[in-house]
Amino acid sequence: MIAAAATSIKAPYIDWAAFSPIVALICGAVIVLLIGLLPGRRVREQIVPGATVLTLLATLGLTIWQWGENTSIISGALAVDRLSLVLNVVFVATGLVTVVMSLRERATVQAGQGEYYTLLLASLAGMAVLVAAQNLVTLFVGIELLSIPLYVLCASELQREKSLEAGLKYLVIGSVGSATLLFGLSFIYGATGSTDFSGIAAALSSKGETIASNPLMLTGLGMAVVGLGFKAAIAPFHQWTPDVYEGAPSPITSFMSVATKAAAFGIFLRFMDVAVIDEALTWQPLLAALAAITIVVGNVGALAQTSVKRILAWSSVAQGGYLLVGIVVSSAAGLEATLYYLVVYVVMNLAAFSVVVARERETTHGDSLSAFAGLGSKRPILAVPMTIAMLSLAGIPATAGFIGKLNLIGASVDGDYAWLGVLIAIGSAISLAYYLRIVAVMWMPDRRGDSPETDRPHGQPEIIGLAIICSAATIFFGIIPSPIYDLVRGAGESIGLL
Amino acid sequence: MLSTYLPALVFVALGAVVGGSFAVLNQVLGPAKSKLVATGDPYECGLPSEVKQGFRFGISFYLIAMLFILFDIEVVFLYPIAVELRAFGTFALLETIVFVVLLMVAFIYVWRRGALEWK
Amino acid sequence: MSLSIIIWLPAVAGALSLLAPRAVAGRLAVVGALATLVLAVILLVGFDNSAPGLQNVTDQNWISALGIHYKLGIDGLNVWLLTTTAMLFFAAILFASFREWERPNLFFFFFAVAESAVLGAFCAQDLILFVVFFDLMLIPFYFITGMWGGEGRVQATTKMVIYTLIGSLLMLVAAVATGVIAAEGGQPLTFAISGLQQAGLSTGTQEWIFLGFAAAFLVKMPLFPLHGWMPDAYRTMPLPALAVFSGILSKVAAYGFLRIVIPLFPDGAAHFQELLLLIALASIIYGSVMAFTQTNLRLIFGFSSVAQLGFIVLGIFALSPRGAEGALLQMVNHAVITVPVFLIIALLAARSRGSEDIREMGGLAFRAPLLAALFLIVSLATLAMPGSSNFIGEFYILLGVFESKTVIAIIAFSGVAMAAVYALRAYISTMHNRVGAQATPREIGLQDALVLVPLVLVILALAIYPQAPLKAAQGPAARSVAKARLALDPLDQRASTQKISQVTP
Repeated sequence: MIAAAATSIKAPYIDWAAFSPIVALICGAVIVLLIGLLPGRRVREQIVPGATVLTLLATLGLTIWQWGENTSIISGALAVDRLSLVLNVVFVATGLVTVVMSLRERATVQAGQGEYYTLLLASLAGMAVLVAAQNLVTLFVGIELLSIPLYVLCASELQREKSLEAGLKYLVIGSVGSATLLFGLSFIYGATGSTDFSGIAAALSSKGETIASNPLMLTGLGMAVVGLGFKAAIAPFHQWTPDVYEGAPSPITSFMSVATKAAAFGIFLRFMDVAVIDEALTWQPLLAALAAITIVVGNVGALAQTSVKRILAWSSVAQGGYLLVGIVVSSAAGLEATLYYLVVYVVMNLAAFSVVVARERETTHGDSLSAFAGLGSKRPILAVPMTIAMLSLAGIPATAGFIGKLNLIGASVDGDYAWLGVLIAIGSAISLAYYLRIVAVMWMPDRRGDSPETDRPHGQPEIIGLAIICSAATIFFGIIPSPIYDLVRGAGESIGLL
Repeated sequence: MLSTYLPALVFVALGAVVGGSFAVLNQVLGPAKSKLVATGDPYECGLPSEVKQGFRFGISFYLIAMLFILFDIEVVFLYPIAVELRAFGTFALLETIVFVVLLMVAFIYVWRRGALEWK
Repeated sequence: MSLSIIIWLPAVAGALSLLAPRAVAGRLAVVGALATLVLAVILLVGFDNSAPGLQNVTDQNWISALGIHYKLGIDGLNVWLLTTTAMLFFAAILFASFREWERPNLFFFFFAVAESAVLGAFCAQDLILFVVFFDLMLIPFYFITGMWGGEGRVQATTKMVIYTLIGSLLMLVAAVATGVIAAEGGQPLTFAISGLQQAGLSTGTQEWIFLGFAAAFLVKMPLFPLHGWMPDAYRTMPLPALAVFSGILSKVAAYGFLRIVIPLFPDGAAHFQELLLLIALASIIYGSVMAFTQTNLRLIFGFSSVAQLGFIVLGIFALSPRGAEGALLQMVNHAVITVPVFLIIALLAARSRGSEDIREMGGLAFRAPLLAALFLIVSLATLAMPGSSNFIGEFYILLGVFESKTVIAIIAFSGVAMAAVYALRAYISTMHNRVGAQATPREIGLQDALVLVPLVLVILALAIYPQAPLKAAQGPAARSVAKARLALDPLDQRASTQKISQVTP
């Protein structure tokens, strides 16, 4: 009997070309790990980051090679479409930036070069799997492959207590999130009998029943949203964010705030807009409430902080609330607005974090606001990018953040959720209070010459270069936004949205 | 529907019966209590069964134990494939090779990092 | 001539002065502002009052995915404001260039960018483009106040930005909603103001969108009770910047009502007419009373601005052609008066060891007759002395209000009287009386006279010939309020025939 069953098993057809970006990331991770074992400090400190960059460039090349593809691969487990390809580009770009930021990072020495960069690549592979997942099992595999390396990376600055604390905290809370998600996914499978997103959608529509009338499905969906909410740092599941962001090594914080967020929102979009799209009317109010809470909590929470990394952590919670608005409206316009804002958010947040990393190494004040005092007159080359990033995060015109908010507000009005658009506006206004505090500290110090005495600016041209490139891009896309529109156009259509 | 749980119930019952009978039979059929200290312990070799509160294992023990469990479980996956390899065909063979190679990479890593040396 | 050149010229000059050596930074900004002024005057001379519709239109796709255009154009509503802006910015930048500033490159850069943003806001003919320029205006003033301001500058400037941007962001939502909702019938998405005229939004929609815009404009002006940021910001802002901030930026908001709100949301405007009139009235009374009780010169004229803008809003929301014309004239008048007032305050403060308190000044007229004469003319214009252009403006405004809301007009008259009290009080206590404790009378310097005398001559010229801006305003002002008038009183046959004859050129 067993033999008979076995003969009927067929190997899934794999479109290796479409699968290649993920394969490249995983192979790269393995190779980097092995290179890290080679003897010689020089080898480790130069070849390992080099190999990481090569891997990322290869992935980028393969992603671009697959551009325009719209297929399901490996028995429908993964989707290669505009949504996943755009996000792949985002991940690779973030990965490259993180590598550059990490070059002089203590964590890479303490944790081992090979390990550090392998974990980074593994996490990126997890993100690529996650945003392409259209199957509950793949979804979970992706989210774990993303999370577990991150837990370790957070704690990679072994000799600093806060880093270890951050890693542990993230591990515990991340596991709670994963467990909740897994529990929810199993309920959904139980209710629909399918792990496929399209299968779930078909099961829901064929049974002619709504989510609300099916307690199993309702519980499952609720828990899945909560689980994803943990990963995406949506209030009220965001409490870990400030502590973890503050404790983790800054390049990792920057990576988490950008790439993890993009990945979590990528799968959020695909799951909501494919698997349960027919039931949108049921879950829209729930998500709208979450978005509203997130915007308010994130912005208010940031007000009282004095650590720049904590401010940026709360700000990223608030930005997550804005991103959620595009999911709430469950339309192609909403999806593209969220995707657009993700791309923009990545650019402006990386500009901010580059400056934070640079300042952390130049002063003994760490990431405290006082490390930025008087930066405008002392080091305008860092102060200007930081200012641009702050203004863009606040949504001031002539920056990319403004166009991003414009899209989200447009989508919210279009989807009959105009009040969420108003909330985005109010949230942005509140956010000015803390973004401008950073700007004011830099440009308008209380007393002239009151700045960190232990200033020891040393050459780190790569970080300054990053800050300048990212902030220049923020301005460029604020004035000429069409390249990003070209990038995200068709993403909604590619997953079957109107 | 509950009938599907029957095997599980049987399994639990068997466990209880076998375990319980060993404990009871030992009491009934075993020889009278020896005066040797070691034979009074639940296990007659290895670590002492009663340890002080502050006792600590060496960190190396944890490391080796964890690595053992990881590799042990991973190797378990090879059994079913070995049995049914012919039925699954070349695809499974390739997958297995990939799996083993990854296992090898992990092993090389563990070895080169010195995790196998008792320190 | 392309409006883009006029708009971006100051910013380009500002960017150059950012890179230039310290000593020439100010001069570069002055040259940029002067060139802009020359171009703006040429534009004004070449402007055709009789032609309906926009002139000198620039229309390019900016964000095609959202149908947002980079569309600029001038008509009777904005041509005078544009030229006034160019003139007053030039005056303020010139005045500032005669003084020492810490980090002058940055100072003049921000100043010049501010000019570009204001000019852009006046010329924008696309809702989103207008919002962009409107928000952008604020950023240079944030930095100018925060970096070069007096005591409590950081807190004041942050408060100002947050207050103003709450309004602006609500306006952004309202603007986006206008375009999106108008396109719901299947029309292509557009934000061009001309394209939205026929949108036909439902009354309910118009009402909340109206409130979004009104929030932005009323905070920016500011009118009572949304003026909370004003006293702090006015107290600390460097005076040349304060001059243009108070004189010109508030006008962008008033202009926004005539350009955008009333033509696009006539039902909303009609619905909230009485609310706005009451706010305007409250501002007139509150501003006048506060101006009378303050002793800081900046605040006296700050609150006076609140009252004056109350008059302008009163004129706009009379929703009659007369009122709108008067409001437009009054915008130009108030801008032309406010800038010299604040520049004179700077001179007065320099003559009383930096104090701006009228109790510590006095007796300047004897030693500084020219300065006193200039201040007198400006003060008389402020109180709308018959014969001044302000008198004509306020007269038109009250006439417009009388037609519909007689009671409000009568109460508003009291504001005119009160203006006389506070304007003369400020003049007398600084120029006459005994020589103040801190005062060191000195005549106005040649350089400063070079800035102030021409400005005062412009005030006089407007007093003699106020018809020039009025003529330009006539047609467009009537067109702007025609629909709202109809919404107010559908049975008003006169209005409806007027509407038909004026909307279809």
